[in-house]
Amino acid sequence: MRNTGFTAHDGIVLAQGLGVSLALFLATFAIGLALGALAAVVRHFRPPVLGVALDTGLELLRNSPVLVQLFLVFFGIPALIHQPLTPLVAAGLTLSANTAAFVYFIVVAGLDAVGREQVEAARAFGLSRAQLVRHILAPQAAAFAMGPLVGLAVNQLQVTSLVSVIGVVDLTKAGDILNLRTLRPFAVWTMVGVLYFAVAKGLTLLGHRWERRLRAHAAPSGL
Amino acid sequence: MIAVEGVVKRFGAQAVLNGVSLTVAPGEVVTILGSSGSGKSTLIRCINGLERLDGGRITVDGLDVANPRQLAQARRLSATVFQLFNLYPHMTVLRNVTLAPEVVLKRPGAEVEAEARALLASVGLADRADAYPAQLSGGQRQRVGICRALAMNPRYLLLDEVTSALDPEMTAEVLAILGRLVSAGTTMVFVTHEVEFARRISTRIVFLDHGRLIVDLPTDQFFADAGGMAHPRIKQFLSKMTPVGGQS
Ligand SMILES: Nc1ncnc2c1ncn2[C@@H]1O[C@H](COP(=O)(O)OP(=O)(O)OP(=O)(O)O)[C@@H](O)[C@H]1O
Ligand SMILES: [Mg+2]
Repeated sequence: MRNTGFTAHDGIVLAQGLGVSLALFLATFAIGLALGALAAVVRHFRPPVLGVALDTGLELLRNSPVLVQLFLVFFGIPALIHQPLTPLVAAGLTLSANTAAFVYFIVVAGLDAVGREQVEAARAFGLSRAQLVRHILAPQAAAFAMGPLVGLAVNQLQVTSLVSVIGVVDLTKAGDILNLRTLRPFAVWTMVGVLYFAVAKGLTLLGHRWERRLRAHAAPSGL
Repeated sequence: MIAVEGVVKRFGAQAVLNGVSLTVAPGEVVTILGSSGSGKSTLIRCINGLERLDGGRITVDGLDVANPRQLAQARRLSATVFQLFNLYPHMTVLRNVTLAPEVVLKRPGAEVEAEARALLASVGLADRADAYPAQLSGGQRQRVGICRALAMNPRYLLLDEVTSALDPEMTAEVLAILGRLVSAGTTMVFVTHEVEFARRISTRIVFLDHGRLIVDLPTDQFFADAGGMAHPRIKQFLSKMTPVGGQS
C-alpha cells in the first residue's frame, strides 16, 4: 500500500521546486533585462542595418510560442552542434532570449518617451552619448518602462513553468511528482498555484513601489 | 569669434538658411530679427551643432562644428538658452545647473555646486535649488535655464526667444537679468521679438528674411531711416512689432 498522505518530505520537494523556479526566473530575467536594455539603447541611436536586424530578430522571438522556442533550443540545437544540452541550460538560454525580446520593445518605447527637447539641451551642452544615456535617458526611460517591466516579470515567472516539459524539476514538476504519488490533484495544484501567486504578488508590490519612486519627477515631455 | 560662412540648411526641398554669413566677435551682442519661419532658430541650432549643415561652414574660435571632435570642443565654448527652457525634468534645479560643468567640463563637484548656488542666488532662486522644474513658474524655469548656461562659463551665450513663452511680468524679470549680463560684457547671439530691448543692448542687429540675411548693421544704423529702415521688409517688420517688455 503506497503512502498517499502528505509528509514533511513533500514540503522539501515543493520548496526545492520553488527554489529552482525562482533561481531560473531571477537569472534569466536579469540576463534578459541586461541584453534587452542594451540592445534597445543601441537601437535608440538608429544604426541603419543593425537597427532593422534587431527589430526583426526580436520581433520573431517575441511573437512565437515559448514552448516552441524551448523545443527548438532543447532538441534543435543539439542536432546542429552534435552535443546534447542539459534541460537547465536549454531552459536558461530560451528564457533569457525570450525575456530580452520583450524587454527590448518595452525599453525602446521608454527611451522614445523621453522628451526630445531635453535630449537636445543635453547634446548642446556637450554631453557625450554615454553621458546622455546615463544622466538623461536611462533614469527617465527606467521610470516609464518600470510598469510594463513588472508586468513582464510576473508573466515570465509563470512562463518558467514550461521548462517542466523538458524535465527541469521546477515548482510545476515538483507538483507533478507530488500529484502522482498522493493522487490529490486539487490540493496539490492549488498549493502550487498559491505559491506562484505569492511570488508574483510580491514582485508586483515591490515593482510598483519602485516605480512610484522612479516616476516622481520624470515627465514625458520636457520642461 | 563665431564665424558663419555661407551656411545652407535644407529641410526637404525648402532651403531654410540660404547662404547666411555672420560673425560674432567677443564682447558683441548680436541680435537676430526676422519674422516667424525666417530661420532664426535654425541658425542657432546650426551654431550649437543640433542641425547638420547642407553647405557652408561654421566655426567657433576656429573649431569647425561639422567635425564631431571639434564640435565637442566648440560646445564647451558656447551655451544655449532655449525658448521652452528644455530643463531636465527628473533633476533638481541645482542638478540641472551642475550637470554639464561636472560631467562635460569635469570640474570638481563641490566647486561647481558652490558656483551654481551663487548663480541661482543672483537670479533670486536661492531657495529653489532643491525644487524640480515642474514645481517652478515659467519665469523661474527660464532663470534656471540661464543659470544652467552661465554655469558653463561660456564665451558665447546663444539665446533663442528666451522670453516668448513668458508673460510680460516674467519677461521683464528675465530681460533684467540679461541686461545685467550685457553690462558684465557677456557675448551674446540673441534671437528675439523684443525689438525695444534689442535696441538697447545690441551692438549689431541682423535681419533674416526667408533664410537670407538681408542686413547686418550696427544698432543705431539699423534703426536709422537711411539704414535698415530703408529696406521695405524691415520697415514693415518693425511697424508690426509693438514694443512689449523691455521697459524694465
Ligand atoms: N525639423 C524641421 N523639419 C522640417 N522643417 C523645419 C524643421 N525645423 C524648422 N523647419 C522649418 O524651417 C523654417 C524656419 O524655422 P525656424 O524655426 O528656424 O524659424 P524661426 O525664424 O525661428 O521662426 P519663429 O520666429 O517662429 O521661431 C520654418 O519654415 C520651419 O517650418
Ligand atoms: Mg524660432
